[in-house]
Amino acid sequence: MTSSTETTVSGPPGEPDEITTAAPEAAAELVGRSPGQLMWLRFKRDRTGVISAYVVGFFFVVAILAPLIAKLYGKNPYTLYGTNEPGLLDDFGYPIAPNGGMSGRFWFGIEPNLGRDVFTQLIYGIRTSLGIALAVTIAVTITAILLGISAGYLGGKVDYFIGRITDLLMAFPAQLFFVAVMPVVTAVFVSPVDETPTYLRVVALITVQWFLGWMGLARLLRGQVLSLREREFIEAARVTGASSWRIVRRELLPNLVTPILVQSTLMLPTFVTAEAGLSFLGVGLVEPTPDWGRMFARGAEVYQNDITYMFFPGIAMVIFIVAFNLLGDSVRDAFDPKAAR
Amino acid sequence: MLRFLVRRTLGAVVILLFISAFTFFLFFAIPHDPALLSCGKNCTPDNLKIIHHNLGLDHPVPVQYYNFMVRIFTGYHYSAGNCPAPCFGYSFANSELVWPTLMDRLPTTLSLAAGGMAVFLLIGLATGMLAAWKRGTMVDKVFSSASLVLSSMQIYFIGPLALALLVYNNQILDQPKYVPITDNPVAWFNGLLLPWCVLSIIFTANYTRMARSTMIEQLQEEHVRTAVAKGMSGRYVFFRYAWRGSLIPIVTILGIDLGSLLGGAMITEWTFQLAGLGRLALDSVLHADLPMLMGVMLFSATMIVLFNIIVDAAYAFIDPRVRLS
Repeated sequence: MTSSTETTVSGPPGEPDEITTAAPEAAAELVGRSPGQLMWLRFKRDRTGVISAYVVGFFFVVAILAPLIAKLYGKNPYTLYGTNEPGLLDDFGYPIAPNGGMSGRFWFGIEPNLGRDVFTQLIYGIRTSLGIALAVTIAVTITAILLGISAGYLGGKVDYFIGRITDLLMAFPAQLFFVAVMPVVTAVFVSPVDETPTYLRVVALITVQWFLGWMGLARLLRGQVLSLREREFIEAARVTGASSWRIVRRELLPNLVTPILVQSTLMLPTFVTAEAGLSFLGVGLVEPTPDWGRMFARGAEVYQNDITYMFFPGIAMVIFIVAFNLLGDSVRDAFDPKAAR
Repeated sequence: MLRFLVRRTLGAVVILLFISAFTFFLFFAIPHDPALLSCGKNCTPDNLKIIHHNLGLDHPVPVQYYNFMVRIFTGYHYSAGNCPAPCFGYSFANSELVWPTLMDRLPTTLSLAAGGMAVFLLIGLATGMLAAWKRGTMVDKVFSSASLVLSSMQIYFIGPLALALLVYNNQILDQPKYVPITDNPVAWFNGLLLPWCVLSIIFTANYTRMARSTMIEQLQEEHVRTAVAKGMSGRYVFFRYAWRGSLIPIVTILGIDLGSLLGGAMITEWTFQLAGLGRLALDSVLHADLPMLMGVMLFSATMIVLFNIIVDAAYAFIDPRVRLS
């Protein structure tokens, strides 16, 4: 099923028309469709889902192409335009032009005091945050699949052990743990006197979020495996002498694609906001790395005089999260049309 | 009931022991020296040694952990002063005792959590139930889409926005601050009104959605349909039958939310400059104040575990079919 999902994604675009036009004579030519194809057909009919998929896709394209866009736009997120050129910032360091210095040249205005370009800061910030959130989502999903399936399929001591670790980690105050452990994780590699390189902070951010992120999905998958394990097709596979590895790979995993895909779609935006929250609190990424959350931290310092600086990152984030949540709902509906809304 | 409580409490103690050990070793086993931070610029090896001894850092880490745990229950006499029974040691940063500092910050966090909860429960449940009652109508659609958008807001975005609009530019509300309720209830209310509302925006949507979906689910249950078929009034069935049944999932998420709120709402406290537990934790991180951080961490974990037990016990009261064992 996994492979068929992939093929239908790039599959023939004419298929939905075929369905509608051929509906009256459908009985004559019943077409066999894999669950993946059915899901894709249902998803394409869901207008909200398709629109939100485009919005989410747009954010990812912007994130990936950020350097190219910045090049075409002719600026970068590091240059201090305001301090280099007189006439952009006033004596207090705030943009002279109205609305935070918005103009044809600086589309989203310029940053107070340092005078960097907000537009490039934002697209580079989205790039950083989405990259981190994506990495966390992938790491968390893989861990949850491994541990959840092992716990459910192997049962016994393994199940007990993984279950207790899950309980333990779920009692951790997550946000507090992130904040407290971020400096520790970086300190393991760098002495506090030296400056922490950016990649190390990124690795630390991914690590701490991964550490407390996988339990929910693992628990869900374990439950699914427990009920699937007793089903006849698994028993049949076992009787015919299939190895455990084959059963997991060919029989169990295809049946778990739905919860895995749905949950990871719903997970990603929470990691984006969590990462931004950490940077907002000052324990995530630091100057001068452009980061979505750091823009809020900077915005919180200057909002009394220049609210515009925070406006664009904020609106962009709201749009992104709304679109992603709608997409998650649509993916769930497409996979599982029986699930009540 | 008693057996259930004893069993769960024992489980909670084990979990807390693991958390404390894990956090302690993580913090205190890191390669660099926490004493360097309190030693300052003119640090001589002799000074360092004295500080090491004072902080108890000259013992191996397991011994330090053992001492730490024992002192929580027995208290300890430091050379600097006495540390009575729940003794979590004293701060590396300002030499204050950890436990009194925690208790000093707790009322702020408590007020924030209690007021926030009142707002989001009231609005969330009311809108959710109304949406379920008027399912499929305009009201339902407006509430559902509003809750979707609001739940996508972040405190670090709407917090400063609300401050700028309501406090600094238009002076509609007071600058948020914490005044003890015992001193002046009106000032307490005014000072926390904005943080409560902003905090609730994030949480309300969750409750709206949860209340709506469980109410709709409950209204399709057979006993509810029977009650309607018998001719009972729609309102009575709605509140007596369906509402009762929909409480369990709501209590579940309320327990989780309260447990984490009482451990300190960090982003809210940071945004509104309220000196609660979350703010304390952040400050201790910035000052590498490990004992203080350890204290907040354990306190928060205790709250989470405690509310898990309370929620599970509450199930038995809400739904007599639930047997605690």
